[in-house]
Amino acid sequence: MANTTYNAPPAVSGWQQRALVVGVIGLIATLAGYFVDHDQFYRAWLVGFIFVLGITLGSLGFLMIQYLTGGSWGVATRRIFEASARTIFPIVALLFIPVVVGMHSLYHWTHLEDVAKDPILQQKEPYLNVTFFLIRAVFYFAVWALLASFLAKWAKQHDDTGNHSFRQRLADLSGPGVLIYGLTMSFAAFDWVMSLDPHWFSTIYGLLVIAGQGISSIAFTIVIATRLWHREPMNHVYNSGHFHDLGKLLFALIMLWAYFSYSQLVIIWSGNLPEEIPWYLRRFSNEWKPLSWALLVFHFILPFSILLSRGLKRNARKLVIVAGLLLVMRVLDIVWLVAPEFKQTDVGGLWMYATAPIGIGGIWLWFFFRNLQSRELLPVKDPQFEQALVAASHH
Amino acid sequence: MADAMKQTGQEASNAAYGPPPVIGPGHTFASVTEKIASIVLRKGTKRGWMVGFGLSFLGMLMMLNTITYLVFKGIGIWGNNTTVGWAFDIINFVWWIGIGHAGTLISAILLLMRQSWRTSINRFAEAMTLFAVACAGLFPALHTGRPWLDYWLFPYPNTMGMWPNFRSPLMWDVFAVSTYATVSALFWFIGLIPDLATLRDRATSKIRKVIYGMLALGWRGSTRHWSRYETAYLLLAGLSTPLVLSVHTIVSFDFSIGIIPGWHATIFPPYFVAGAIYAGFAMVLTLGIPIRKYYGLDDFITNRHLRNMAKVMLATGLIVGYGYAMEAFFAWYSANTYEAYMYKNRTTGPYWYIYWLLILCNIAVPQLLWIKKYRESTVMLFVISMFINVGMWLERFVIIVTSLHRDFLPSAWTMYTPTVFDFTMFFGTIGFFLTLMFLFIRILPMISIYEMRTMVPEAKLKSEAHASPDKPAMPPAGGPQESPA
Amino acid sequence: MNVNKESNIYGLMAEFDNPTAVVVAAKKAHEAGYRKMDAYSPYPIEELSEAIGFHSNRVPLIVLVGGLAGLFAGLGLQIWTSAIEYPLNVGGRPLISWPAFVPVTFEMTVLLAAFGAVLGMILLNGLPRPYHPVFNAPRFELASRTHFFLCIEAEDAKFDLGETRKFLESLGANEVTDVEK
Repeated sequence: MANTTYNAPPAVSGWQQRALVVGVIGLIATLAGYFVDHDQFYRAWLVGFIFVLGITLGSLGFLMIQYLTGGSWGVATRRIFEASARTIFPIVALLFIPVVVGMHSLYHWTHLEDVAKDPILQQKEPYLNVTFFLIRAVFYFAVWALLASFLAKWAKQHDDTGNHSFRQRLADLSGPGVLIYGLTMSFAAFDWVMSLDPHWFSTIYGLLVIAGQGISSIAFTIVIATRLWHREPMNHVYNSGHFHDLGKLLFALIMLWAYFSYSQLVIIWSGNLPEEIPWYLRRFSNEWKPLSWALLVFHFILPFSILLSRGLKRNARKLVIVAGLLLVMRVLDIVWLVAPEFKQTDVGGLWMYATAPIGIGGIWLWFFFRNLQSRELLPVKDPQFEQALVAASHH
Repeated sequence: MADAMKQTGQEASNAAYGPPPVIGPGHTFASVTEKIASIVLRKGTKRGWMVGFGLSFLGMLMMLNTITYLVFKGIGIWGNNTTVGWAFDIINFVWWIGIGHAGTLISAILLLMRQSWRTSINRFAEAMTLFAVACAGLFPALHTGRPWLDYWLFPYPNTMGMWPNFRSPLMWDVFAVSTYATVSALFWFIGLIPDLATLRDRATSKIRKVIYGMLALGWRGSTRHWSRYETAYLLLAGLSTPLVLSVHTIVSFDFSIGIIPGWHATIFPPYFVAGAIYAGFAMVLTLGIPIRKYYGLDDFITNRHLRNMAKVMLATGLIVGYGYAMEAFFAWYSANTYEAYMYKNRTTGPYWYIYWLLILCNIAVPQLLWIKKYRESTVMLFVISMFINVGMWLERFVIIVTSLHRDFLPSAWTMYTPTVFDFTMFFGTIGFFLTLMFLFIRILPMISIYEMRTMVPEAKLKSEAHASPDKPAMPPAGGPQESPA
Repeated sequence: MNVNKESNIYGLMAEFDNPTAVVVAAKKAHEAGYRKMDAYSPYPIEELSEAIGFHSNRVPLIVLVGGLAGLFAGLGLQIWTSAIEYPLNVGGRPLISWPAFVPVTFEMTVLLAAFGAVLGMILLNGLPRPYHPVFNAPRFELASRTHFFLCIEAEDAKFDLGETRKFLESLGANEVTDVEK
């Protein structure tokens, strides 16, 4: 077994081409939307960007967590997480540029004439101003890119040399790394999404977004792992135990997401303060109520009930359906965070909320598959490697 | 910082090469049974135990005296006043409940995560949970002022034609804490049944045989029974995991559902849960380190256990720190006068020293746990966990007292000063807790014997027992699906 | 005399001193066609219950029923008391305040599900049962400490005192003894 190589199957390059085609079509459609309604275009772009960022950074987080905890699920899926995390620079950073260009359309606090009339926004001005916003954005991307590149570099050196001191270094970085990710991502969430309503605030917001990123990245990893499992060489590797572990993680994460969401809701609903409750009033208005219900049912109740079954978590063919559903729901959850902040003047532009994630996602997938092909699909030199392949099959 | 995570990597590779050292070498079924059961079944009682029990019992008497006086005089004997209506009573309630949480975490969550190192500490930690919940429950029960009418808290048909208000978090608390106490007791008892059977079979005196025999329910180790037992135990673990999170979440709702600045924050649920686990692990170490030394249990509670607990403390402590950071940031970002004043009052107001002491105990000192040397040293771990015990108590003081004593209405501002009865009640519950703990380690096995048996080398089945091939649990995809290895 | 003795026998108990031996013996006994038998061990051995042909149990079902009962009881209690029996306007909140009803509903679900797990396990196992014939076997007290036992019961269709004893002895038992009722 030690002599087997685990290069990506040739099919991956086919997927890569297809992703590019879909991505380009989606992008062209979305760009066409720019000429229909550019406010709508920027909102849709923000949704697509936050969705893709979620997969990327969620994967970065799990990459570090599995270096810390060890365990077979981590060894078996490490390269998928790594390929996602490595997209943070340059492509995900580049995808942020339209958000910067559209700042004036997206963020009310950039309208200086309105800020001048609003004492609360004036008080927030030292934080919510264009210069500092851009400095912070550059800082976040720099930190994430550095984390991802060191993790990728040392993993490569570990693979090439088999020297376990690199594995040690990866773990050493991951401890503080998880902390840094949690803090930077929280503030990025405040900046990019929460400040769409500059008056509103919620201290749990960062954790809520991070839990969503966790779901996105695990669901995405399940989809990719299932695709690979149908082909050489991973059909010899993945077994029901690995999918069971991923299914359990997904299950735990949707509970966590529901827990954070409910906590925020019940606290704000009970307090019923004029500075907080409008955020929910918008989302429970007639326009957005159906989406709120859809999130409750399809982002929590349905996948939760399905994933209670042990057999289902061990069956990749069925698990992947739940994962696919959750990826769609992730996009809708981000739409739910973003869209109700704006007066919907025209229902006609809503289709961009579909094309933008598809377009951005397709382009991102092209880079993801390129990263996936550049290394073996398993960290063959990991001290837990052999054990990881067999250990997961019983339990 | 650099060598902080070194241990993780080493553990990862240790785990890869053979079984992890969760039990000392050379143990057999007979030796683990003997070692653990003999602590309970020995004739006569060690002097050290007697002294410890006696001191704890005095503490408990102090508590009983305070309660008696309180029932006669009313809660006016405490320092609470009309502005600071919640004080030591609720601080102590939250503190004790939090301490209890590590027990459930160790026994349930670590079981689900297949962390074998939990085995030798879970029984002890579960007992801690039960006793901590008992102490916690006393405070709100007495704080009602007329504890003999506490049954009014429960929904029951009554001649007054009234029902409780289910929109109130205090009502949720009644359900959460009573469910938690019940389920923890069930979980603990279920875990004890096989060990009670061992004690029944091993006891020599008639009276012990009868008592342990009745408690063991006639357990005979039938493999069918074991199969259902394992299922029930795992399911209980699965139920306890969200339960334990819900309990401290609901405790946090007691505060955050209201609109007092310093209480009304959406971060409260996860931050309270993390704080509870943090405090609970600190208490497990505070009790575990001396007990392990006194009873010579180093083979069962190994350094690896202590290390892992130190890491859990570090991680949950950082989450708590995240909570503090968010509170501080949003006190400013909210641009709300009251929020901003609340934070200023915490850090520079009349109780400033408590806030900074809290930061010292909960945030500064535990950063020593990044350093491997300190995670390896039982003395340092004991000292750090003492800091955390104190720090977590101070945290609740800051949240409750400094938020209440100056809120929206400056004319109602006042100071809070505890009375001697606040202290006798608080230290009395520590005596009560330790009394129960001493009784527990004397009359019940403090380590799960049957689970320790599964850890010894003898328990490993040889290959002929696996003769029948595993049925593939998942239909194969393109090719052979199980790894050939 | 012999008939009398046989009718007074609960079964034959074989003693083993390691887990592998008892699992192998149980498998062979199952292959040989014995069905009414049980094995006894000082800790749970999954392979052992599989070896005697015991695969699934109904505990999870009982837990599910308990959980659903708790869910509906908790929700029903709150809706009935707050909206029907004792409607009360609290701070302008609706009578059926579903965000506020989640915690109690959840706690009741967990409580009754946990009762289901515990009572289901205890009752399906036929406990509490202070007296059971297997306790009559000599050295059986070791089943809760160090040793492993396999008991083929007299009720089994294939049971024959002499034959079964010979069979059990052939499986490498330390000792085979009669168990009286």
